[in-house]
Amino acid sequence: MSARQAIQVGTKTVKPVLSSSQGEARSRVLSLYKAWYRQIPYLVKDFDIPKSDEQCRAKLKEIFLKNKDVTDIRVIDILVIKGQMELKESVKMWKQKGHIMAYFKPTEEPKPKDFLSKFFSSNE
Amino acid sequence: MFKVISHTANLTRSQLSRSLPAFSTSATRLAGDPTSRKEAPIIDNESVLTLPEKAKERKALDTAIVVPVKVDLSPITGVPEEHVKTRRVRIYQPAKNAMQSGTNNIHHWEMEFDTRQRWENPLMGWTSTGDPLSNMKVQFSSPDEAIEHCEKNGWIWYLDIPKTEKQFKPKNYGVNFSWNRRTRVSTK
Amino acid sequence: MSFLFNRTVSSGRSLGRIVFNNAKAPLVQRVATKTDQATPAVETRPTVAKLDPLQKSQLIDFGKYVAECLPKYVQKVQITAGNELEVLIPSEAVIPVLQFLKDHHNAQFANLVDIAGMDVPSRPNRFEIIYNLLSLRYNARIRVKTYTDELTPVDSACEVFKAANWYEREIWDMFGVFFANHPDLRRILTDYGFEGHPFRKDFPLSGYVEVRYDDEQKRVVVEPLELAQEFRRFELSAPWEQFPNFRSNPAAEEVVNPGEDKPKQE
Repeated sequence: MSARQAIQVGTKTVKPVLSSSQGEARSRVLSLYKAWYRQIPYLVKDFDIPKSDEQCRAKLKEIFLKNKDVTDIRVIDILVIKGQMELKESVKMWKQKGHIMAYFKPTEEPKPKDFLSKFFSSNE
Repeated sequence: MFKVISHTANLTRSQLSRSLPAFSTSATRLAGDPTSRKEAPIIDNESVLTLPEKAKERKALDTAIVVPVKVDLSPITGVPEEHVKTRRVRIYQPAKNAMQSGTNNIHHWEMEFDTRQRWENPLMGWTSTGDPLSNMKVQFSSPDEAIEHCEKNGWIWYLDIPKTEKQFKPKNYGVNFSWNRRTRVSTK
Repeated sequence: MSFLFNRTVSSGRSLGRIVFNNAKAPLVQRVATKTDQATPAVETRPTVAKLDPLQKSQLIDFGKYVAECLPKYVQKVQITAGNELEVLIPSEAVIPVLQFLKDHHNAQFANLVDIAGMDVPSRPNRFEIIYNLLSLRYNARIRVKTYTDELTPVDSACEVFKAANWYEREIWDMFGVFFANHPDLRRILTDYGFEGHPFRKDFPLSGYVEVRYDDEQKRVVVEPLELAQEFRRFELSAPWEQFPNFRSNPAAEEVVNPGEDKPKQE
């Protein structure tokens, strides 16, 4: 009884953004992934990207897996909405080559993560 | 004649007959109510004409969902990951300006980020930085609001409160003239 | 004796305003001061905005009328800056209230002037959406304010006002407030791959990324920010209270319904 009350205390009732259950959010995410996956060959040809299909698919997987630990349904919905907007901008060719290539971050050097590299490189 | 009137009243079977109680003299007065005669119930047109998926959508949105109170918004705020994971937020009350004795601008709480490297621009000698959050100060009216804001955005925070509150000791004017204490103002 | 007593004890309050305050106080009329003259009569000082009491009373009456017509939705009605009527509602109530204000014969606020957003990070519902409406028929303006946080969607006003389309796109782009049932919600002011919502208070002035043309790639690239000179920071808050004479003047005056027990506040 106290455990249930504790669970109820740690939750709140809110208005949903798009989906009302985890299953529905999951299906939205998967359909967005499929839409992007199927669009990749056309993106590569239309924007004349110097990357192959496999590299694009790996990048897509990497971007989707970056958010794999998100559990809140509404946060997942907002992420899906933003992904859908990006897809629309790419499909309709409102974006340009530079915007698509920005996903790959070609000019950015990977920042040092472990202590010694940070120590050797800079003072932060 | 009564029979004719009640007969015509029965024929109408519309809601209008219900508003003319003078005419429904027969025992079938409540015959105008379709639900009581095992007929199809009256449904409004909108719920009949909507497509099934739209009806489901509307029903789903009208209901509310239960989510945990603690929410992490860092994937959707748009702040780059390095500025969420690697930075620390200091929550404090700003200090009084030492040059002036006014205190009207220190009764709120602020949040600022840890400092990053600043270097000298080789061309002009300017102070350059690679830190977009170097000048970011957000104001709150209580430390709890600041803490909640930091938790929502995923920042690591710490509350910076001075260890001891300076106790104001009410002073007596007579201590200026005491014969054996340091508080004596002069020797005359 | 009592005259001296009055002058010393209540001197802080009364010296500036009341000239005569002795034992014969009930027989002596209070000398009118500047503030006494200003409020009931017409404002004559040139630097102070002239207040139209008729317009204000009409707005107050209309505010009470709106609160009576929509008791489920209207949370508060107030008058700001002397002559601006504001109606505060929860985020579920946007469509009914806007529809009422547009279609009701006594309102006819058919013109949506602006939808503005405001970010106050110290509140739990940090964003405020502000609808400014204009009635050409009655020459009146009204402001409808709602609140929401980063995750709660607001119903789109596009089905009521077609003009709300781009305004809501701007609020989505700049603040991140999602509008449900919007016909075409996408970014309007930021660049295509831009991440972040610039009008939020915790978005830095310089942004997080910079763009430049790269010769090797032969196109524009997006990189993390590096400023040649760091932005200056000005501490603009003064340590002294700036308007001590207006300490008791709140920005907004609440319009109270006649049905409540509270005395009518202007």
